[in-house]
Amino acid sequence: MKYTADCKVIEVLNLSDEQLIELSKKNVLSLSLEEMKAVQSYFKKLKRNPSDVEIETIAQTWSEHCKHKTLTGIIEYTEEREGEKTKKTYNNLLKETIFKATVELNKKWCLSVFKDNAGIIEFDLENGVAFKVETHNHPSALEPYGGSATGIGGVIRDILGVGLGAKPLANTDVFCFGDFGIEASKIPEGVHHPKRIMKGVVSGVRDYGNRMGIPTVNGAICFDDGYTANPLVYCGTMGIIPKDKIYKEVKPGDLILVVGGKTGRDGIHGATFSSVELDKESDVSAVQIGNPIIEKKVLDTMIKARDLNLYRAVTDCGAGGLSSAVGELGSKTGAVVYLDKVPLKYDGLRPWEIWISEAQERMVFAVPPEHKEEIIEVFEKENVEAVCIGEFTNEGKLTLLYNGEVVTSVDMEFLHEGVPKPVKRAVYKMKEEKIQEPVKMNSSEISISLKALLADLNVCSREWIVRQYDHEVQGQTIIKPLQGNNIEISGPGDAAVIFPYTVVKDTKRGIVLSNGLNPQYGKINPYKMAASAIEEALRNAVAVGADIRRISLLDNFCWGNPNDPEILGSLVCAAKACYKISKAFDIPFISGKDSLHNEYSIDGKKYSIPSALLISAMGVIENVENTITMPLKNDGNKIFVLGLTRNELGGSVFAKIKNICSGIVPDVYPKESKNVMEKIYQAVSENLIESCHDCSEGGIAVAVSEMAFSAGKGVKIDIDAVKTSYVLKGKEEIREEMTPAEILFSESNGRFVVEVKSDNEEKFGKIFKGTAFSEIGCVSNDKEVIFESKKNKVKIQEDFKVLLNSWRSTINW
Amino acid sequence: MFKIEILTKKGFKNPRSEHVLSDICGIGVKDVTKVEYSPLYIIDGGISSVEAETIACELLSDRITENYIVYLMQSGTERYCKVVSKSATEGDFVSVPSSDPNFSVIEVWYKKGVTDTVSESLVKAVKDLGIVKEIKVNTGHKYCLYGGVSRTILNIIATKLLANTLIQECKIR
Amino acid sequence: MKKVKVLILRTAGTNCDWETQSAFELCGAAVERVHINTLIEKKDKIFEYDILAFPGGFSYGDDIASGKILSNEIKSKLGDKVRKYALDGKPIIGICNGFQVLVKMGLLPDVKLFKQVSTLSYNDSNKFECRWVYLKTEKKIGNESCCIWAKNLPDVISLPVAHGEGKFIPNNEKLLDNLNKNNQIVFRYSSKEGNEPEYPLAPNGSAEQIAGICNIKGNILGLMPHPERYIFGLQHPAKKSFNGKYGWGKVIFQNAVDFVGR
Repeated sequence: MKYTADCKVIEVLNLSDEQLIELSKKNVLSLSLEEMKAVQSYFKKLKRNPSDVEIETIAQTWSEHCKHKTLTGIIEYTEEREGEKTKKTYNNLLKETIFKATVELNKKWCLSVFKDNAGIIEFDLENGVAFKVETHNHPSALEPYGGSATGIGGVIRDILGVGLGAKPLANTDVFCFGDFGIEASKIPEGVHHPKRIMKGVVSGVRDYGNRMGIPTVNGAICFDDGYTANPLVYCGTMGIIPKDKIYKEVKPGDLILVVGGKTGRDGIHGATFSSVELDKESDVSAVQIGNPIIEKKVLDTMIKARDLNLYRAVTDCGAGGLSSAVGELGSKTGAVVYLDKVPLKYDGLRPWEIWISEAQERMVFAVPPEHKEEIIEVFEKENVEAVCIGEFTNEGKLTLLYNGEVVTSVDMEFLHEGVPKPVKRAVYKMKEEKIQEPVKMNSSEISISLKALLADLNVCSREWIVRQYDHEVQGQTIIKPLQGNNIEISGPGDAAVIFPYTVVKDTKRGIVLSNGLNPQYGKINPYKMAASAIEEALRNAVAVGADIRRISLLDNFCWGNPNDPEILGSLVCAAKACYKISKAFDIPFISGKDSLHNEYSIDGKKYSIPSALLISAMGVIENVENTITMPLKNDGNKIFVLGLTRNELGGSVFAKIKNICSGIVPDVYPKESKNVMEKIYQAVSENLIESCHDCSEGGIAVAVSEMAFSAGKGVKIDIDAVKTSYVLKGKEEIREEMTPAEILFSESNGRFVVEVKSDNEEKFGKIFKGTAFSEIGCVSNDKEVIFESKKNKVKIQEDFKVLLNSWRSTINW
Repeated sequence: MFKIEILTKKGFKNPRSEHVLSDICGIGVKDVTKVEYSPLYIIDGGISSVEAETIACELLSDRITENYIVYLMQSGTERYCKVVSKSATEGDFVSVPSSDPNFSVIEVWYKKGVTDTVSESLVKAVKDLGIVKEIKVNTGHKYCLYGGVSRTILNIIATKLLANTLIQECKIR
Repeated sequence: MKKVKVLILRTAGTNCDWETQSAFELCGAAVERVHINTLIEKKDKIFEYDILAFPGGFSYGDDIASGKILSNEIKSKLGDKVRKYALDGKPIIGICNGFQVLVKMGLLPDVKLFKQVSTLSYNDSNKFECRWVYLKTEKKIGNESCCIWAKNLPDVISLPVAHGEGKFIPNNEKLLDNLNKNNQIVFRYSSKEGNEPEYPLAPNGSAEQIAGICNIKGNILGLMPHPERYIFGLQHPAKKSFNGKYGWGKVIFQNAVDFVGR
């Protein structure tokens, strides 16, 4: 092998361990010593040193971002509960928890799980729906606008690159930011102010999503000081795909076509960089700026090429660029690529830069040679650049050439299977939770707390954000993120429903999207955080009329440094919860992603993020006419709470604003909840429920208030009528004693507030027989929101407008 | 090489200017009393001054609400800028001497190599106008700030609000 | 009966073409979404169609200003054809970005003049906003709109808007007077009762709350709100419908299809 001036030989054969580590660091390879040694011994066998292109290719392919080494590696896990230790070794945490549940549940309607760019479930006889959620945290910390825009652009390409390409129907976005009330002087050097990050991130998602013509319909934001230096930006896309386009297969001889944007120096080392802690001098080229119009053109044309059957496989260029895309498609065959044929934005790129650049808006296709002219014409007709850069072979080798010289020649098998499995230690020690001192508050104190809760960053209106997104483009958003009975006022919907009538003619079906996230619970109990996130996502979907027998889940772990056994321990604990709850609810995971190393170090001190597990749910709704919203509908209707209220204030918003440090974190009781969820679906199908809202942050008080003010109506609620759980007193089971504040603000899972017409009360009661439910009040015509406990002589009374204003004023720029 | 500046006509609202002003107040700077925002374009590639004016008039400005000024830039530095054409009459824009301590200008430009989507679109649009030359475009933003503000504060406004120095550079006058 | 043929013109960044197609199809038309390059290649193809639609979206990213690059492209490459098509009295609709294109190439408000005399500028709120609004249908003659697209509508309808540059500004008072005098104002943003609205029901600060205008003849309608997003009752925030199923947006498309099919 000869090397041109543009391509350097990297000395590895004769390096010591220390020198190998230094090489990895110096070139931002993010490879461990074991991995560097594996590289060394591979090239010892070849009796030569690698080229820079080869070493970069290996680093990209083996990166945490592409390979998920931690979650698929060996983990020695120790769990300590009440002084007792149990040990377990995981050979592949993902396969033994989340994926295992899916395999065991074995749903026929799961069409493609955990293998492609997104999970796919059945929509109807002809179509499937695909869903994927990604994170783009580090780039968004450095350049919020560009980072979030390329985040959404990237996950849209995941949907374009699933199977032979799905048509995107909706986006979701979930953010974790620092509290934007923080003083500028308290922000670490090199970190943007949370308000600037938030504004930039929202603008980035807005500009990219709106220009792509994909409605952003569902999301969440969580504020916590732990995210000041390292915000989290989750972006999701759902798309629809004909069932006969779900499978891809590359055949030797197929041409490699790169389509869309040109390649520049953007995002060099993005894949390896995401495994590095952020510091003041983070690599600037890791920032990418997107161009949504190029991606829109790719979308328009590739769907056309797909329907003409002009290609056999496609994938997107994400982290690792061409290296990952071609590597993935050609892993079973082999590939030859002529790097000098790749269209460039400007001169001066070296071969390895071309190969691993993460320039945006590029897709890679495997095209049978006989379709070459036709497919290129489809793209070029609409001004999309499409260039053939090589072909797939049957040699099992990756060969890269630059100006006629071979600059890479490695075995696909080594590239994809040669990474040594790391062994990591994980420790989880359960924290003790105990019930707080009874929260005794008088009427006006509760009133003040209610308004504070509504205005809290984690509860308050997201309207400022939601309205900047074109959440109705495509005309299919029939359950909207903001819900009202008229145009003037609206409240926070639990989930969105897309009715894909422009793609599937004469359909009645819809697709529901929702999510669950609560890092506050995770600070105390990661198991309950994971369980609660799953339940919340399901509750949100059920609240608009979804059938839980047709819901699928995505997991997205954003964690700190996995080399810290305690941080990894909490991750294992959360993954175990995912398995257990998925099984208990009979609901499969279909795809997921993890982003580890969310840490920031400055002046030698490490800032690690609060661990965050986002659960996103996608389900298919049989008949979109049977969907409901959360605002109250008519005066005189009855209000019920479904599910039991427990004394669970641990990690709650109320506990935060009242500085209550103890309290039980809400647990999940799958048997109870599943039963209630199934019955809600039945009742909605029979038209027995007028409005429904899930109880989460802020508990019953917030849920009822939101239902009232989003309708401009009043309510009368009897706090004493809320059913609390049973506890053992001696040998007797009695209802748990809770103070009014505890009942109103507890965040117990499994609960819904629903509105029922008096005429339907009997039928409704029959359906819910055998579950815990209680009538707690009615809709009134006097615009006053009233919560009363005669037993405790407490009465909270506020005009709905006062509550609405508390909720609306916090984020309003 | 030409530099084209787009100005909002007198009597028309420029919401972006107002927004920037409120952002400046939002980070605790009270001395700025007014902001005027203008988009900037630098076009290179052998076009004539007539062509530059066509681009400014037909493409870059809105004939109802905006005016343009086209500068000829010599040897690539702004110091030798010369106005070659403009749609604005004197009353339409304010020319404040650069020595006025109560007036400062912050210009923000992308760093070399950073994707600039507007410039990519502009290249196509110029061709549609019948100007078939391989042009290169840089897009920038100009913020005129009124009120006595120190250099340090200007730096804060520039780097904390108007530009991300990772991808953009700012010129403060 | 022969089907009414609709051409939906699309280009890079067009994104409301699918739902606009569905809306026309619901009204019984045969619809083709045609890329501008195809039309530039075969300029007379435009005359094969009965209705021309400029859909919403972000043509060329709305770079420089909304609709600007596309309006220039159409004017320089297809200007004569589009003008002839308009003068023939065939129905043309421009929705959102399409409205911005019509106004910026000067097809509205005066086809003969074919010069930009008004604009759609940045919302007073300085941000893109997506929300539902009330629209007052202007009915000056025989309690009916002068625009062929806006017949058979109640006095106040609701439709969603989604734009950052929707503030209608005429170049002078005289133009505004003429628009009023010639009954060219088709829709104004209003309160629920049809009165003067306040932000956010007045979403952008338009002169005289103008949301949509037509030419004097009434065959060309440009509007910022999205009628194609309210063809079914299901699409309304509170699922409000007429005839048990449809939304007011459908009437707008039906009017043009019926006008041609007459």
